[in-house]
Amino acid sequence: MDFTSIFNGYALGLLGAGLAAALACSGSGLGTGYAGQAGAGLVSEDPSKFGKAMILQVIPGTQGLYGFVIWFLAFNKLVPGMSIAEGWQIFGACLPIGIGGLVSGAAQGKVAASSMNILAKKPDDWSKGMILCITVEFYAILSLLASFMMLNGITIG
Amino acid sequence: MAILKMKRLRLMLVRSRKEELLRELAKLGCVEFAEIEGELQESGLGDQVRRESSALTALRSKQMTLEHAVELLNQYAPAKSPLLSAKPEYSNEALLDSTGIETELAKAAEVAGLDERVRRISAEENRLRGTIESLKPWRDLDLPLEQDGTERTAVLMGTVSARIPLDQVKAAVEAASDEAELFPISEDKTAHYVLILAMRDAVPAVQECLRGFGFTASALSGLKGTPTACIAAAEESLEKLAAEKEETRAQIVDRAVYRDDLKLAADQVCAQVGLAEAEERLCGTDSVVMLEGWCPAENEAELARLFDRYDCAWETRDPTEEEYPEVPVKLKNNAVTNALNMVTNMYSLPAYNGVDPNPLMAPFFILFYGLMMADMGYGLLMIAAALVAMKKIKPREGTLSFCQLLLYAGISTFICGALTGGFFGDLPYQLVHMFHPESTWKGLPYLFNPLAEGGAQPVLYGAMVLGIIQLNTGMVVNFLKKKRRGDLAGAIFEEGSLWVILLGGILYLLPTLGILKIPAKIGLAVLIVGGLMLLFGAGRNAKGFGKVTAAIGCVYSTLTGWFGDVLSYSRIMALMLAGSVVGQVFNSIAAMPSAKGVTVPSFLIFLLIFLIGHALNFGLNLLGCFVHDLRLQCLEYFGKFYEDGGRPFDPLRLRTKYARTKES
Repeated sequence: MDFTSIFNGYALGLLGAGLAAALACSGSGLGTGYAGQAGAGLVSEDPSKFGKAMILQVIPGTQGLYGFVIWFLAFNKLVPGMSIAEGWQIFGACLPIGIGGLVSGAAQGKVAASSMNILAKKPDDWSKGMILCITVEFYAILSLLASFMMLNGITIG
Repeated sequence: MAILKMKRLRLMLVRSRKEELLRELAKLGCVEFAEIEGELQESGLGDQVRRESSALTALRSKQMTLEHAVELLNQYAPAKSPLLSAKPEYSNEALLDSTGIETELAKAAEVAGLDERVRRISAEENRLRGTIESLKPWRDLDLPLEQDGTERTAVLMGTVSARIPLDQVKAAVEAASDEAELFPISEDKTAHYVLILAMRDAVPAVQECLRGFGFTASALSGLKGTPTACIAAAEESLEKLAAEKEETRAQIVDRAVYRDDLKLAADQVCAQVGLAEAEERLCGTDSVVMLEGWCPAENEAELARLFDRYDCAWETRDPTEEEYPEVPVKLKNNAVTNALNMVTNMYSLPAYNGVDPNPLMAPFFILFYGLMMADMGYGLLMIAAALVAMKKIKPREGTLSFCQLLLYAGISTFICGALTGGFFGDLPYQLVHMFHPESTWKGLPYLFNPLAEGGAQPVLYGAMVLGIIQLNTGMVVNFLKKKRRGDLAGAIFEEGSLWVILLGGILYLLPTLGILKIPAKIGLAVLIVGGLMLLFGAGRNAKGFGKVTAAIGCVYSTLTGWFGDVLSYSRIMALMLAGSVVGQVFNSIAAMPSAKGVTVPSFLIFLLIFLIGHALNFGLNLLGCFVHDLRLQCLEYFGKFYEDGGRPFDPLRLRTKYARTKES
């Protein structure tokens, strides 16, 4: 078996696309997990706040979605037999949302979890917690845009 | 569409007509009561005038009793009402009527008493279940539990950790006292349950020996008869209690018919609470009552008629500049800008001498929302949801502005969806290709689409240009505001210099990109002029070396701030992209089983995945777009001009929780 049959552009592209989805979804998983834990504690005290707690919980869920978007776009670009260089290009373009999504998702989850406190103690001001979460979201958006613009610039074949 | 002008109101009337007037004011709902005690103290009238008292505390506790009873009824017998229904309507008179409250309070106490009984029964049940649990290991023992020995022998019952071999304990016990004997009763994962017989005088020695093995005496005191008999007795009581609990519950459920009356009574008490709260803000002598407060200038004529009817002595005046922070703020809106009330209230009301942000925000908010969501299908869903909600629950105030916002955002989403060619993602394309795989149709036509070939950059730049437009609108507002306040120099150096820089940037970029045939140097020169203006403006109010640091600080924060603000609008494109791609992915997954021809099962799978996927995407986008749009308005846009800190106008009115007042 020669080297190129196991190390080829298509595999590299798949690896990149996979990482975009996997890392970003892990970030969202962690984030919604933190927020969900805090939310469950709050709901156990006051079940009427379920709706708002759920809204706060899904806010860190967007990173996974962004990762999924890039996965889809990258996957659509892959063709079997593409060169290793092209594979690296796809791989590189997928990295921003993968890493950015992972870290920002987890960080946003912590903000969302703390915002559950606002919801518990000052229910009228809970939307401010939402705004705090969105500050973190912006960096996931920049990661998404970076990945998207790079992918957009790559032409295969 | 502005911040309503408020007037300070002062009024005196004879004590005997106080309550009547308060009721009339509550019906009108346009006077907010202010604290006046302090003023009276200063004026030296303090010793003749005292604060009015009311039964506020008692009323509040009544309100809680009634609301608690309603909650209990909802808990035991959930009301079967249609999903979307309007609250019942009552006239002002019905809500101000307090004659029926006492009977309803008795009913509420009845419900609360029954609930208390249910809870006592549950506690008793838990206790019995605990007893049964603790007796289970002793089930094989046929010794009555009250038997603690004879005259000379003692019975010890308890547990030893399961990790210690029982033989070892047995040997040790027998070594401690010749006559002592250990009988194993049962064992489980954690412990051996043992019974020890010993001579009474040898008990201390045996206990000493057992302590070494971590022996814990079982607490089964107070029980009579063998463990089996005790368990049987407890189970019998449990059955009885369960029946009693069921019966009590049924009694509560029977009282569900009280619900509507209780709700009305709760709202009636709520009205009384409102009146009492207002009353506590009044001051008066033996025969005269004084009132101070705020009322919107537009209601003055209406109030004048009322005051004359009650023979009041009254006056109104415009608030002074020093009073502005205290003046309550009420926004007057039309049907479009009212929708944005929700956003303004969520953030913070404008200061009394500030600007009403709603009309300034409405076009941007609605347009941005549409661009982010950009799907005809989702737009139609939003319009339908808003219309149905408006028809069914006949919302008012906060809920009404939410529904209106949903409607306008839905219309905008539909239009933007038409421009980007989105209908539930790429549903038409998928459907056509599912049924006619050989079709060459490329999907709905579009004006701009980030997913199309070369479509990404224009959308991204477009989003930022929209941002620049919005930010500049904010700056124009701020410019005018500063000018109105006489700070023309500040307006020119702060807003003006940025416009010069912007103009310079455009004049420099256009020829560089080859769009306009003028020398790029002109743009550069304008840029430098703007920079100098900014520098001068920043250093204008500082002295000495402070001028330099102030100038550098200002240029740095202005430029990075602007850069960040404009970049922030890229989220418009990102959300547009994310929403449409996720929709498309679900469509293509749904279409996969039909790849080799559409069959009935494959089409059903298509429908299922389509519905679930789009429900998810729709829900997430609905929320996501709202929050991101909100952020653009509240952070980027408001940052340029908005002064918040207004105190919401909170007049005496008929507040209700369950019902609402009939519109007159």
